[in-house]
Amino acid sequence: DQNFDEFNTNQVNATAIDPAFQLNAAVVGLAFPTLGTLTFDIGIVQQIISPNSGVLTGANYNQDNREFSQSLWQGYYRNVIKNTRDVISRVEGVSNRGNLLQMARLVQAYGFMVLTDDYGSIPYFDGGKGYTNQVFLPKYDAQQDIYADLIKEVREATGALSSSQRIETADVLYAGNIDKWKAFGNSLLLRLGMRLSEVDPALAQQVVSSLGSGPFILDNTDNAAIRHDNNYQNPTGNTLNSTEASNFYLTQPFVDFLKNSNDPRLSAIAVRYVGASSGPEQTPERASFSADLQIGMPMGNDNAGAVKAASDAGLASFYEFSQADRRRVAKLTAPNFLITASQTNLLLAEARHRGWISSGSAEEYFHAGIRAHMVQLGQVDAGSMIPPEEINAFLQANPLIQASALEQINDQYWIASFLNGPEAFANFRRSGFPALAPNPFPGREVPFINRLTYPNSEISVNAANVQEAISLQGPDEIGTKVWWDK
Amino acid sequence: QNEPLIASSKRSDPFEKSTKEPKALLKDRLHDLEEVFQVSIAFKDDLVQKKVVQPGFFPKASPEESLSLLLKGTGIQYEKVGAGSYVLFPKASSKASSSVNPEIPAGFLDRTNPQNVPHERMGIKREVRKPSHAEFSVTGRVMDEKGNGFPGVNILVKGTTQGTVTDISGNYSLNVPDGSSVLVFSFVGYNSQEVQVQNRSVINVSMSLDESSLEEIVVTALGVEKSAKSLGYSTARVKSDELTINRTPNLMNALQGKIAGVNISSLGTGPGGTSKIRIRGQSSISGQNNPLIVINGVPIDNTNFGTNPGNNASDNSIGVRGGGVTSDGGDGLSSINPDDVESMTVLKGAAAAALYGSRAKDGVIMITTKSKGDRQGIGVTYNINYTNEAPLDFTDYQYEYGQGEQGVRPTTPNPTSGQWSFGERFQPGMTQVLFDGVTVPYQPVRNHIRDFFRNGQNLTNSLSLASASEKGGFNLSFSDLTSRGIVPNNSYNRKTINLGFGYDLTPKLSFRGNINYSNEKNTNPPNIGQQDNTIPVALYNLANSMPLNVLDENKYDEDGNEAVYSRFRNRTNPYFTLAEQFNRIIRDRIFGNVSLKYNFTPWLNIQGRVGQDYWSRDQDYNNFPTGQASRAPAPAGFVNGVYTQESRRFREINADFLISANKSFGDIGFNASFGGNHMYRRSDVNSVQVTDFVVRGLYTVQNGRAKDPIFDLSERAVNSLYGSAEVSLKNRLFLTGTLRNDWFSTLSEANRSILYPSVATSWVFKDNTGESGWLNFGKLRVAYAEVGSDSDVAPYSDVLFYGINNNLFGNQPVGGPIGTTLPNPDLRPMRVAETEVGFELTMFQGRVSLDVAGYHKITTDQIVRAQISDASGFVTTSINSGKSQNQGVEMLLTLVPIENSNFTWEFTTNATYNKTKVLSLLTDTPGERITVGTHVFNGELRQIVGEEMAQIAGFGFRRDEQGRIIYGANGIPLRTPDLINFGSALPKWFGGFNNAFNYKGVMFSFLIDFKLGNMMLSGTNFNAIRHGLHKMTLQGREGGVIGEGVNQNGEPNTVAAPVQSYWEVVRSQALIEPAVFDGGYWKLRQITLGYDFTKHLKEKSPIRGLKLNFVANNVLLLQKWVDNIDPESFGYSSDNLVGMESTGLPTTRGLGFNLNVKF
Repeated sequence: DQNFDEFNTNQVNATAIDPAFQLNAAVVGLAFPTLGTLTFDIGIVQQIISPNSGVLTGANYNQDNREFSQSLWQGYYRNVIKNTRDVISRVEGVSNRGNLLQMARLVQAYGFMVLTDDYGSIPYFDGGKGYTNQVFLPKYDAQQDIYADLIKEVREATGALSSSQRIETADVLYAGNIDKWKAFGNSLLLRLGMRLSEVDPALAQQVVSSLGSGPFILDNTDNAAIRHDNNYQNPTGNTLNSTEASNFYLTQPFVDFLKNSNDPRLSAIAVRYVGASSGPEQTPERASFSADLQIGMPMGNDNAGAVKAASDAGLASFYEFSQADRRRVAKLTAPNFLITASQTNLLLAEARHRGWISSGSAEEYFHAGIRAHMVQLGQVDAGSMIPPEEINAFLQANPLIQASALEQINDQYWIASFLNGPEAFANFRRSGFPALAPNPFPGREVPFINRLTYPNSEISVNAANVQEAISLQGPDEIGTKVWWDK
Repeated sequence: QNEPLIASSKRSDPFEKSTKEPKALLKDRLHDLEEVFQVSIAFKDDLVQKKVVQPGFFPKASPEESLSLLLKGTGIQYEKVGAGSYVLFPKASSKASSSVNPEIPAGFLDRTNPQNVPHERMGIKREVRKPSHAEFSVTGRVMDEKGNGFPGVNILVKGTTQGTVTDISGNYSLNVPDGSSVLVFSFVGYNSQEVQVQNRSVINVSMSLDESSLEEIVVTALGVEKSAKSLGYSTARVKSDELTINRTPNLMNALQGKIAGVNISSLGTGPGGTSKIRIRGQSSISGQNNPLIVINGVPIDNTNFGTNPGNNASDNSIGVRGGGVTSDGGDGLSSINPDDVESMTVLKGAAAAALYGSRAKDGVIMITTKSKGDRQGIGVTYNINYTNEAPLDFTDYQYEYGQGEQGVRPTTPNPTSGQWSFGERFQPGMTQVLFDGVTVPYQPVRNHIRDFFRNGQNLTNSLSLASASEKGGFNLSFSDLTSRGIVPNNSYNRKTINLGFGYDLTPKLSFRGNINYSNEKNTNPPNIGQQDNTIPVALYNLANSMPLNVLDENKYDEDGNEAVYSRFRNRTNPYFTLAEQFNRIIRDRIFGNVSLKYNFTPWLNIQGRVGQDYWSRDQDYNNFPTGQASRAPAPAGFVNGVYTQESRRFREINADFLISANKSFGDIGFNASFGGNHMYRRSDVNSVQVTDFVVRGLYTVQNGRAKDPIFDLSERAVNSLYGSAEVSLKNRLFLTGTLRNDWFSTLSEANRSILYPSVATSWVFKDNTGESGWLNFGKLRVAYAEVGSDSDVAPYSDVLFYGINNNLFGNQPVGGPIGTTLPNPDLRPMRVAETEVGFELTMFQGRVSLDVAGYHKITTDQIVRAQISDASGFVTTSINSGKSQNQGVEMLLTLVPIENSNFTWEFTTNATYNKTKVLSLLTDTPGERITVGTHVFNGELRQIVGEEMAQIAGFGFRRDEQGRIIYGANGIPLRTPDLINFGSALPKWFGGFNNAFNYKGVMFSFLIDFKLGNMMLSGTNFNAIRHGLHKMTLQGREGGVIGEGVNQNGEPNTVAAPVQSYWEVVRSQALIEPAVFDGGYWKLRQITLGYDFTKHLKEKSPIRGLKLNFVANNVLLLQKWVDNIDPESFGYSSDNLVGMESTGLPTTRGLGFNLNVKF
């Protein structure tokens, strides 16, 4: 057995790679796992729903569906946190990789924020430490503690980014550009702070005020987005183009909201296959983008209810309801936006409105936010380009009114976060806007879904820690509220 | 022939003769028989003295049959030593050793020692009355050990075929070529003697008893032959007939229900699939449980290409890349031709297998292949076997409400309910619109299963050439198995060439060897269990009013893509799958070994052996055919689809040596051996997967858009030293000890070396001496052994590896850790400690024999691929913990209730009770649990401390204290807050009952087998419930389901839930309780009807033997508890998915025949 050690050495695979490539994997992993956010997050905010039951159960019926409530959890821990923890442990203390370390901390913070926003208490301090610290069954942490640490992490990491250190040009988010990463960090911190506006306004204000003048992501060129291609496809786009192509529809509240405000984004987002009596008949020849023709699917229907709703609306079938266009904004190569100029401007509008920052005017931020989203849609697909005159006309018709500012801003945030289910879901819970009616489905478990339930595997494998989380947070049900949701 | 049998005119009427004497002395009857058939029968007087036999007549045709009938129950058996010559001797003592086929005379089956093989003497020609030109004549007398005349002793002139047999008084006379000839005296059960003539004309000889040769010889670990009565542990022997007459493409499946302690499951995966064998239950909590396969003393590879989706733990099975394919690619046993098997021994316990050390944890299946013929010259055997396999449909679906959802049937073009039967109640005259406007009656379509699948066929042709001489022989065989699967595009072909040979170069130096080449071609092994491309899943859930011809005719849309027929697009139209998906596997395999043996002295020898198993396997498949409805479109300019092409190579080399000594000092015998082995295994794979194509329909790597190549390499080695020592006293008490030390390359230096001891004793408290009495033979055995295994540790599993994705993203590399399992550098081999106690009894002259074994097995330091929290970043990790216990009793009972010259009824039963328990995982806290496998749809398999192994767990109905189901405000049942256990998926009882009848040579037998006490989570029923096919979903079709139970306030539930939502809770809430069933069964497994025409053949006919059997397999399901399926019809070979049924192929009933002709 003299040569056994040599024998047991793999001749083929690497035991380490440049951690920058691993950070890229974490960034790619931030793309929202498909059916988890489609059946829940995006449906909870009443933008897209399916009338179908069984495995597609979720926000359409306001019922729990463990099959897909776990996909965000699994996707983020396995693809994001696993890699960021490893990158951090590999580059911590390595002199010339300081920027990579900070970038990994920021990406990790983004991932944890999405996780805790959706689930509440999650394994945070111990989370993702299976390899680095051999923690197999991590403890859950209270959201309050998580937020405190996230704020610290993002603040520290953003501050420590330095253009005098090695620039990580392999980075797929910003090619290592320090200014853009700083803008990402500040915008993330702004988002963290604003999330606490109801539960801890003082802390929220303190965090937001401390940001000063940024820099922030205020222009679409700085958007944090996973720019998918044919080899790295947008998961939501893939689902809406394959198995579920004919199973998800824009909702009536969303379509009507855009229609009633003459929002030019309706034509950019929606498609209706006029006269389609079945999924296979949803052909490009039938596609119509005209805002007037768009009809959203009413909330609260199962398959039979949707059939009836279609006939009530004078449609050939429910396949004729408007869809998020899978050939434009929901195409396979559509970017997955994480933090956009639109969202950041709108948060700044609210912060300014609340008086937590002093520069600029709330309306300027408000309009800049709307404009950024309208432009962003055209950047996703040329077919969704909105002419500047239509943008200007819309802005002119929608001044920010002091009395309804919070509602206006957050309604726009809702639209601007279209296809970013977790952010739309979180901001809806925080702000209470838009004023959506409860899902009227007769078999609903709750009027509104307030969080996602833990994965079955956690209940099975990590039961003691889950129980502890439940004892502090409340039952593992979709009606339970997370800490910041007041 | 020197003595042509021309005596027929002299025969008296045997019937008359035999009935005149109701109670005849055996001795007289033997003389009668000699007279009737003009043969000579040699025996020692004291063997037959005072023995009385039943009256009966001699069947007219054959002396052999008459003799065997005459001797039944006497404790005596005969051997044919030449034309018209027979000798009698006591039956081997431990007949009751758990042979699976006790009807065969013991004693010869496993006797491979050339000195004792009967056919050695078949070439002897009697010369007594032959006029001879020889110059030298020798006469003399042969005496037995007591000095009495010894009849029937064979005398052969060495190096010739000249010889004779002593007469009734032990006298002989023989002509020899010259005065320097050597005479060889031999008799079964006695030591052979060689005597030089030295010009003597009178040579008297005394024969001495060879104690060991009276025994049944069993091939034990390392190929060492031992007398059965010396064994302190249980083994099972399988006769080749058991494998060949009622054959199955994978040879082990033919033994289902036949061997005590061995649980064999055939999987519903088509011909060429894997065979799941569990010896004495499952020992590993989450890893390998496959026995080691040893052919002619050298292990061969049994890599499993079964697919095990949801297997969170490890079992070393190799799946496919890229999804879309869940077919069973077979295992190492599938390349063996049953016709080449001479005998098979199953080493069940750790003590039996201890000399195999690390690889013997789950027992050993030792196969000896044929290496010589049964006579000089070339003997030719031809065998043809044909079976027709008819698919069985156990579905009992509802046919009251047809296709549709939420109570609505399809009435417009391109409906997409396809997989749902929650439509309207069938009424005469109703129609439904399917696909693009095809209007057909809305009526039940009942025979989806039988109409889609075809009858399968297996045809095997085997030809063998064999020869034997006193110095050796060979056996060369060719075989072709052609199987037509029940899925219309599935076929399997296996061609094998096997050469076995052996030769004694000198009396001291001999060699033997075998080479087996096989070529297997498996075309389109069907996908099972999953959704995509899986014909059984789509078909079993097809809406109950969907006509198959409409589905077939409309499988394509106008672009040639799959026409969408269901909103559930993963349920690919089975006809599209059939037409568009392919999977081709070709395996070439060559294995064999050569050994050289040198006898220093008669009691000391050394053997060296080298064996290799090498295979290459080429497979290509389109994971997702172009145009499949569940797939997103390709980028402009391409068509979608995924194609994979891979080549694997595997090599295992075993080199070993063994020094053996065997010597007796008076009553005390010693037997010792010492040896060593070096094992080296290397496997590699080249695989390229491509996504999207330029030219439609051209599935090649070049035509692909995105390409993803892989090369992987794995090497491991084990060095071993081992020894064994046996002491026997008076050939009645035996004590054997073994030691083995293994050194593993896969483990760290500190954990690399492991020593395994074993000790076994056997006490024969009653030995068979041939006399009457109620107890003829009795033996007690006790054994203890420890073995271990590193088989759950993959090479390099101590390190985390990183990979770079094949495609750049934004022109930058993307990479990360490979896989989802955390490495653990500190793994130790797992260990099994097993204690075994057993006894064997033979009673009433063999009319009753019983073999019982009890075992207690503790498996510690298990290498558990445990599921861990996702939040750790990984899904599983290997931990060196876990302790489990297997306790069981296995027994084999043979009864011969009726035995007379016309009719024999033999009843054999084997039964095993096996109970497992998880003793600890990370700690021994009761209730601590790990998840080792998840069901494809919902539910999981767990190991829980304090419970039986393999608990099926999932959410159940939430109930109040009175057990009433609680419903939510919406009328839908609530689920339990936590997953609950539904019981173990492992059978507690399994076994079989065989009844064999022989009426005047017509053999008829049937086998009933059973498995009881195991739960299963039925994926087929899970789907049948959520798709509205299961009869339970008839409840609430009109007006909704008002579930019986209470609401959350404890008041009776009055809320009607919509019927579809109600039953879909199995999916949406993972509330699997309605899909959990008892998985036990009773089956009429086999029927065989056969006749041996050999005795009707004329002496001069070129055909020497002719046997014909009719066989039926899987005849009748007598009892089951699971709805809609055969409990055996599922296809995962992993124990981590045991009980996790997901629709496999329907089981089949086989009908066929086997014809064996010898020339």
